[in-house]
This record gives sequence, C-alpha cells and structure tokens, in this order.
Amino acid sequence: MEDVTTNINHILRLNNPPKYSRRFLKWVISEELFDDIDGDLMELFHERATTANIWKAKSLYLQDVLLSTRNIYLRRKLKFYNPLVMYKNYLKIAFRNLLKYKGYSFINIFGLALGMASCLLILLFVNNEVSFDGFHEKKANIYRLDEVQTFGAVSAQKVALSMYPMGPNLLADYPEVVDFTRYWTMGRTLVEHENQQHYIGEIARVDTSFLEMFDFKLVRGNIDEAFQEMFDLVISESIAERLFGDEDPIGKLLKLPNDDVNLKVTAVMADVPDNSHLQFDALLSTKAWDSEQRQNGWGSNYLNTYLQLAPGVDIASLEAKFDDFLVKFMGEEALDYYELFLQPLSDVHLGSMDITHDYNNHKKFARSSVNIFVILAVFVLLIASINFMNLSTARAATRSREVGVRKSVGAFKGQITGQFVAESIVLTIIALLIAFGLCFVSINSLIQIIDRDLSMSLFFQPVNLLVVMAITVLIGLLSGIYPALVMSGFNPVMALKGSGTANSKSWFRNALVVFQYAIAIAIIIGTSVATRQLNYMQNLDLGFDKELTVVMNMYQETNDKYELLSSELKNQSNILDVTATSQRLGNNLHQTSMQYRADTALITGSSSFVQVDHNFFDFYKMEILEGRALSKEFAADERGRSFVVNETLARELGANGHDVVGMPFHFGGVDTLGQIVGIAKDFNYNKLNLKVEPLFMTSPTENYWSEVNVKIKAGNLQTAVQEIETVWTSLFPQRPFEYEFLDQHFSRLYQSEQQLTKVISILSGLAIIIASLGLFGLASFTVRQRLKEMGIRKVLGASVGQIVMILSKKFTLLVLIAFLIAAPVTYFLMSGWLDGYTYKISIGVIVFLVVGLGSWLIALLTVSVQSFRVAKSNPVDTLRIE
Amino acid sequence: MKGIHLGEFEELVLLAVASLDENAYAVSIQSELLERVGRKSNISAVHTALYRMEDKGLVESSRGGAEAKRGGKNKRLFKVTNFGINMLKESKEKRESFWKTLPQISTTS
Repeated sequence: MEDVTTNINHILRLNNPPKYSRRFLKWVISEELFDDIDGDLMELFHERATTANIWKAKSLYLQDVLLSTRNIYLRRKLKFYNPLVMYKNYLKIAFRNLLKYKGYSFINIFGLALGMASCLLILLFVNNEVSFDGFHEKKANIYRLDEVQTFGAVSAQKVALSMYPMGPNLLADYPEVVDFTRYWTMGRTLVEHENQQHYIGEIARVDTSFLEMFDFKLVRGNIDEAFQEMFDLVISESIAERLFGDEDPIGKLLKLPNDDVNLKVTAVMADVPDNSHLQFDALLSTKAWDSEQRQNGWGSNYLNTYLQLAPGVDIASLEAKFDDFLVKFMGEEALDYYELFLQPLSDVHLGSMDITHDYNNHKKFARSSVNIFVILAVFVLLIASINFMNLSTARAATRSREVGVRKSVGAFKGQITGQFVAESIVLTIIALLIAFGLCFVSINSLIQIIDRDLSMSLFFQPVNLLVVMAITVLIGLLSGIYPALVMSGFNPVMALKGSGTANSKSWFRNALVVFQYAIAIAIIIGTSVATRQLNYMQNLDLGFDKELTVVMNMYQETNDKYELLSSELKNQSNILDVTATSQRLGNNLHQTSMQYRADTALITGSSSFVQVDHNFFDFYKMEILEGRALSKEFAADERGRSFVVNETLARELGANGHDVVGMPFHFGGVDTLGQIVGIAKDFNYNKLNLKVEPLFMTSPTENYWSEVNVKIKAGNLQTAVQEIETVWTSLFPQRPFEYEFLDQHFSRLYQSEQQLTKVISILSGLAIIIASLGLFGLASFTVRQRLKEMGIRKVLGASVGQIVMILSKKFTLLVLIAFLIAAPVTYFLMSGWLDGYTYKISIGVIVFLVVGLGSWLIALLTVSVQSFRVAKSNPVDTLRIE
Repeated sequence: MKGIHLGEFEELVLLAVASLDENAYAVSIQSELLERVGRKSNISAVHTALYRMEDKGLVESSRGGAEAKRGGKNKRLFKVTNFGINMLKESKEKRESFWKTLPQISTTS
C-alpha cells in the first residue's frame, strides 16, 4: 500500500499533464467551469499515467483538451451569486475609501475636475472661433478678393482691399464667378429722425446681391424689395427698436444731416451675430455712389469685394487668370504693383494675421493661437488624467487587503479589474460634474478676458453631451485600467499579509511624473517668454511719445472750424498742445507713389505717407536728425511743398551718395516738385512685429484732417477730458463727443496677443497646480510606504534633515529629468516663435533657471510637507504598526 | 414542460447519474457508461450532456471531494432532480407503451 502511494506521489510530482495543452484548455473553457473540467481531465490523465504509458496518457489528454473545444460556449451562472449585493458592496467600499482618505480623494477628483474644466472652457472658446462665418449657407463658395501690393521700397504686403470696378468686371469676364458683392463702410453715421439725431454704429454700402450671398436674415421686408430705390436702407432689429420703438419701421425716413438725403427703411434684419467677421448695423446699396468716375476708378483701393464662385472651381487656376485681368484694365505696369488672390470665407477670421488694412474683420484671431489653446488644453487634461492614474495606482497599495479578501472569498481577476475600472469611471464622472460647476463659476471671467460670446448651453446639446460623456468615460477607463490590472494581479496571500506589492512597478509612475512635470515646465517657460516679449513690445520706445494723448475723429464740419477748435483747446489750462493728422498712428499707414530728382533723373518710387500739422514733430517729441521739422515760418511748408522723410526712406533716397535734405521731391496729387527739408528718426507707427517702412510727412494745402490729437497735462486726466468735451460740444453741438487715448489704441494692437498670453498664463498656472497636487498625493503615499524604514533610520540615529533628504532625493531627480527634457524642446519652439518679431527679446538662461528652480522648489515643498511629518514623528508609533 | 426532450446519449448519462447515486461526476459517469452499456465516450461529450441537462433542470450539482490526483480541484457531483426522475419514468413509459401494442414483433432475418 505504501508503495502505491509513493508511486502515485512520484507520478504526481514528475508527470503533470502537458503545460501548454492545459493552458489552452483554460483559454477555451469559461472561467466558472474551468476548475471542474480541469479536475476531471487531470484525474483521467493521472489514471492513465498509472495504468498505461505516460506518452499515451499525454496524447489522450491532448485529445480530451481538443475535444473540449466543443464546450467553449458552455457558461454557468455562479450559484448563490447575487450581483446586486456585490455592486452595493463595491459602491459602499468605494465611498468608504473616498472618505477614509479625504485628502487624497479631494486631490484626485478636484485635480481632474480642474483639468476637465479648463479643457471644457477652452473647447467652448475654440468652438466659437471655428464657428465664425459658419452660418452662411454658401460659405464654401464665397471668397474675399485681396491684393498683394508691392510699392517700390515698401515691402510687399497683403491687404484686404480691392478696387471699386473689380467686382462687376470679374463677374462679366469670368464664368467661374457667379456673383459678387462689395462691402464699403461709411463708419459711424449721424442720422436724423423727427428732428432727433442718432448715431448708427456702422452703415455698410453693399451690392444688392449681398443679402443673397450672405445669410443675414431679414425679420421684416423681403430680399427682392430691400434695395430697389437708390437710398433704400436695411437696419438691424436693435437700431429699429432704438429709433422707432414699437412703431413699424418699414417706410420710415431717416435724414443724413450733412447731405440732405433721405434714407428709406425697407427691411429689418436680425442683429448681426457676434461670430461674423462683418459687423454692421445698417446696409445701403452702392447705387447712390455708382458714378462713372468710380466705375473707372482703377487704382484706388478702399473696399472689400466678395466673390461667389461656381461649385468646384479650381482656385489656383482662377487666380492665375487675374494677372490678365489687371493688364486688361490697368495696363502692363499694374503687375508691378498688384497681384490678386482669393481668400476662402472660412479663412478670413482665423487666417488674416498677415493681412493689413483689414478694417472689416471683427475680432480677428490667429489660427496658430487657436491651435496653441487646443494643445495646451489637451496637455492640461493629460496632466490631470496622469495624476488621477498615478494616485489610483499608489492607492492600490492601501487596498491590497481588500483585494486579498475578495480573492480568497472567490472573486475572479476579471471581477476585481471590473470593480476598479468602474470605480475610476464613477470618479471621473463625479469630476466631470464638479468641472461643470467650475465652468459655470469661471465662464464670465473668461468671457471678459477673451471678449467672446460664450455659452455653456453648447454642452447640453445631446450630441456634444454624448461626446463629453464618452471622453470622460474613456479617461476613467484609461486611467483606471492600469491600477486595476496591478491590483487584480496581487497574489492573495501576499496581499492579505499586507506587504505592498505596488512598489515593483513604480518606474512607470515615475515616468508619468517626469512626463507631467516636463509638460508643466515647458508650458511655464513658454508662457513667461511670451509674456516678457509682449511687455517688451508694449514698453519699447516707439520713437515718439504716445502717452497722455487724446485722439478724436474729425468730420467735414469739424474740419471747417479746425483753427478755432485748436486755439480754443490750447486755451484750456490742462491742455498742452493740439495737432492733427490724416491717419491715426498705430495703424498701417497708407501708401502713395512719389517722385524725386537725383542728379538730373526724375525717379518714381513709392512710400507710406501721413499728412501732419506743422507742430506734429514737437507734439510727439520726434527727433529730427538732419535739416528741420515742418514749420509755420516757411510758406512752402504751408503749401504742401516741404517734406520730412524718415531714416528708412532717407537711406533709399540717398543710396548713391546724394544729399537727401534739399532733394527735389513730390507725391501724388501735387505737380510741382517740392523739397525735402528734414530727416526724422525712425519711429514705430505700427505693431512691432512689422519693421519700419519708408515714410514721408507733409502738410496738406487745406485743412482736411481725419483726426485731431490733444496732449494733456499729467495728473488731471479727468478734468482735461472734460475741458476737451466742453470745447467740442460748444463748437459742434450736433456731434456727440467721442475720444480715445492713443496708448489704449496701441495696446489694442496687441489685443489678440494679450488675450493669448492671459489665457495661457492661467492654463500654465493650472498645469503646475495640478502637477503639484499629483506630486503631493504621490509623495504622501511613498512616504506612507516607507514609514517603517524611516522609523528604523530614526532609531539608528538619522536626523530630521537627513530623513527629509532621503525622501526628497527621488523627487528632485524626477524634476531634474523632466527639466532636462523640457528645456531644450521649449528653447527650440520659443526661438521659432520669436523669429516672427522684428523687435524681440533674447530668451536667455535666466528664464530656464528660474522656472527650473521654481518647479524644483514647488516639488520639494510638496514632498517635504509629507516627509517632514514622518521625520518628526516618534519612531515608536511608526514601528509599532503590525 | 414543453419542448424538453432527452437525447439518447443524454438519457444514458441521466440513468448513469441516477445509478451512481452519491458519486456521480464526469469521470465516474464516463466509466459507468463503458462498464454498463459498453458505450465509449469522450469526457468532453459527457461534460456537454451534464451541463446541458443542468440547464434544463434535469440534474443539479454541487462541489465536493477534492483529490491530489485532480490537482486539488473539487469534483462537480451531479444528482438527478425530481423533474429528471419524472422525465426518465415518462420516457420509459412511452417506450413500454409501444412494446405493449407491438407484442408480436420478432426478429426476422
């Protein structure tokens, strides 16, 4: 008997069924049945192995396994298995765990919610940007006609301008063009209704096809009758309400006070939505301006032309024909100055950053900035998700006992994985709800910063809500799956003993921390470089004094009394000086052709120009390098025969060693040659990412200014503005007083950049906060795991400082690695960005050092809070845990 | 119970379960089939029949009797339910009713 037993034991020890066959069986048979069937097969195998040849037993075993594939679909519900009770238990345990570790749960969920909220808000913004001009049904076939202008020394520039005759002639000459409309603004216009004067913000002159091409909906009247008569007017709903109240606006007459013309309201349109690049309050047809002179007005660019093309037209080949078009109407030399190109309607809002004289482009924005936002939002969400994952994995260690108990009671691996994944999904959904709350709280501040019309309601459209939910569940799934797999893989015996098995794969967590910190560091370095560049540009000496300057628009009747206005203003106690110009500084200046005589040859070129009052140079404290400024003393100056050029133009004129001062010179309208009297130091009249172009300044023959500039005393802005207003209204009672400060006008040039940096600053702040939250949570878990070790170290005589050091060392290393990854990448990217600016800062090492040290300190601080607590604790307490 | 029929092999397995009483599990049933009726069958076929009949409610099972030669795994012990016994009886009666009406049948060769 003993012999048999040893024999069997011997067989059992040496001859097990083929490993791979058994593994195959496990794969084939459902989990619930495997134990039974495996046992049966094993029993048969051993029986055969004792009675027959071992090889035969093995082959029969294989046969059994293979035949068992017939049972692949056999399933068994576990007996006495009530899933509901189990789910209730899962839920209970999940919430108990949340409450037991309140701090970590808060960090975990709130960090994710922060990331989600910023992502949601950015998505709202991006959606708004992309939706610009999306409501026009024919948007795919509508193009804006733009020009590339190349005038002599002025570098080629894209302009959003075209000529009055272009539209109709393109329609007549090219079958590809189905329709056209021009868009020519009148600016703010004063109208009179029943002896009451009102401003209409923007009246646009358009062709009658305008309302058919673009979908600006009429609420009263119909499209066919809108522009029948010469002075038919379409007004917006809000204008109608302001002017006529509840009365029916159709057929009402509005008088233009200066022109003695009556406009008749024929239709009312819905207010133009904020996401349209064209913004206007009323429309007139171009008919009233359609003189023969205008119809042949080739060469003057002052309006926008939109073309509707036939579907499927090849844009490149149509653009290629435009050269012939220009030659046909303007002669060969037109090609020296002009080139036409088409800009798709969908590109106008986001793709016009390189286009100047772009006056009708509401809230124009850079597509690259939108992309930066999207990338940042994704990164912040990524950091938050990684946090979530890291913390859940770290927390796995504290729940190893639970897993051990579940496993020994009979939970399958799949059930435990499912439990933890589901838990993580539930947590992400809670985070999403908090994120929605955060969005509601913060959306108004965002709207103020970026000046956009955003609404949370977008998220509650079924499709969007579904997408948001799907992404949330996906985040929950992805960030839950790793910790779930780690936990379900615990060996129950080890797990029950409570020895942490989580340490083994901490390299993965460390890699994630490095990744997070690298992103956060990169974002912060990028932001600080961008902010510094922007500040640099705004505070750079422009070459003239733009402070304390009030600018006001001039009109026909105000120009008639310019001398009076000027002297009255100068009499006020808080006003230092008054000057006038033909264009506001801070815009791209208009260009014109010019002629000058060098030796005996008369040379034609072109340059930017601005007409200025004689005291302009004093007023703006501009430096005259050579010659003199314009002055009242010289009769020629008053007759527009004297010119002051800037350095850039002077370089061009004096290229062959000619004396620039005294050089015969004239431009455009004046036919006798005048003279250059002075050279002014270059000043920046435009955005600083554009270089200074050649420029000359002269006085006009009569007062026709487009604006007057007033320099006021420092300290009493309010009183000074009131003084101006008093003078203005006493002279022009019918013109409401409106003004702007020049420095505000300049800072508006950088509005898009400012919005960008503000939002990015917030995002980068969030990134580092979320990353630190994660590190904080992670550190506390690491510290907890090493409690005993630290206790022993203390007993052996380690000081508090040494213990803090030991615990912080690892995180210092992680941040260092993150920094080494992030720094070169950021340097490369930011240098590329700065290359777009003429006046730029050098990146320098300091930013890197400060951000690197800063993030290290933040990391150190977060970790130290934890490690210090351990280091201070009494080793008796930490060692006693058993 | 409409729609539940016993296949021929299933009936044999069911009878074997009934006759093995307390010790009916796949391996013992397989050898019982071989000894009693000389039916050679693969273990997987026995599994299929047993689990199908369990789904139909003809047998019920419990676990017990782990042994080293089974790799420490429990046996799944089967027991015929009352419904299974009724089914067996019914099946026997139906067959007998044929035999009763066909007394004169004999082998003709």
